[in-house]
Amino acid sequence: MNRRPPFSRKNSSDSHFSIRYAAGNIVLGGILVAVMEAAKLALSFLPNIELVSLLVILYALEFPALIFCILPVFVLVECGVYGMGLWVIMYLYSWPVLAILARLFRRQNSPLFWAILSGSFGLCFGALCALVYLPIGGPSLFFTTWVSGIPYDLLHFGGNFVLCLCLFAPLRRLIRRCKAAFPELYRDRQKRK
Amino acid sequence: MATNATNQKKNNKKLMTALLVLALAVVALLLVYRQFGPQTSAGNKSLTISVESADGATTDYAVLTDAEYLRQAMDEADGLTYEMTDGMVITINGERADWNEDSAYWAFYVNGEYCQYGVDEQPVADGDEFDIVYTPAQ
Repeated sequence: MNRRPPFSRKNSSDSHFSIRYAAGNIVLGGILVAVMEAAKLALSFLPNIELVSLLVILYALEFPALIFCILPVFVLVECGVYGMGLWVIMYLYSWPVLAILARLFRRQNSPLFWAILSGSFGLCFGALCALVYLPIGGPSLFFTTWVSGIPYDLLHFGGNFVLCLCLFAPLRRLIRRCKAAFPELYRDRQKRK
Repeated sequence: MATNATNQKKNNKKLMTALLVLALAVVALLLVYRQFGPQTSAGNKSLTISVESADGATTDYAVLTDAEYLRQAMDEADGLTYEMTDGMVITINGERADWNEDSAYWAFYVNGEYCQYGVDEQPVADGDEFDIVYTPAQ
């Protein structure tokens, strides 16, 4: 019989690593969601000026394995703070769209590029959110909802553009420094083995 | 080195083009808002605001106003009181319809049609009839 015992040294060490890694991911995910929520609440007194877009971009670039788990948890926490509403559906697809775009352009390093992307997202946010009204009230409700929110979209664009242009590079540096300081919490896919 | 510099130059050119497109998109959005956004009219208007409470009782308010938006007309309606939270009308004449607390909301109608804008942006015109109805969640 050439079978390896079920708890051989190799298996044990593998599973130990997996459990530690999974626990690290859960802790890190919680911290990242908490930072997002705190950033959202801190600027909630300003209409459509927010740091969430910038954080989604940074998380998508620096924590690709976690970003699509973080976003639904963030929406869940938001539900706890603001209650359920139609906006939950909007959030469930709007933020992943930004995360996917960030992943698609992950090789870009210029803060100006990310400011343009973040600003464009802000500009389109109203249209993205108004999409949920299409099945309810048809194109006319979509159009009036989108048009009535244009002043807020313009504010969203300005806020996202300026915040991303100023904060993208320093925050990315900070995140990378934290990743290096706590390697047990997160490892990039290519470094895992 | 020369290739790097050329790539950098190309990249900068692309970014500048994207920036220009973004600026054009901003201008286009402003034009769309100007064309299709809420249109207001100045001058005297006579309108009615009708409030239907949870028990179905209706109270009518006749308003003579120069207001361009509904909120200002509501402010001028004699006897009508309301409270707002985060841009939403939550309480009218002391009756609360908070979606999170009461699973109900105040639905606003203008001339029988559901209002497309918030009270701060809803234009008012002479002869408009507004209905504010306590609406429980379906």
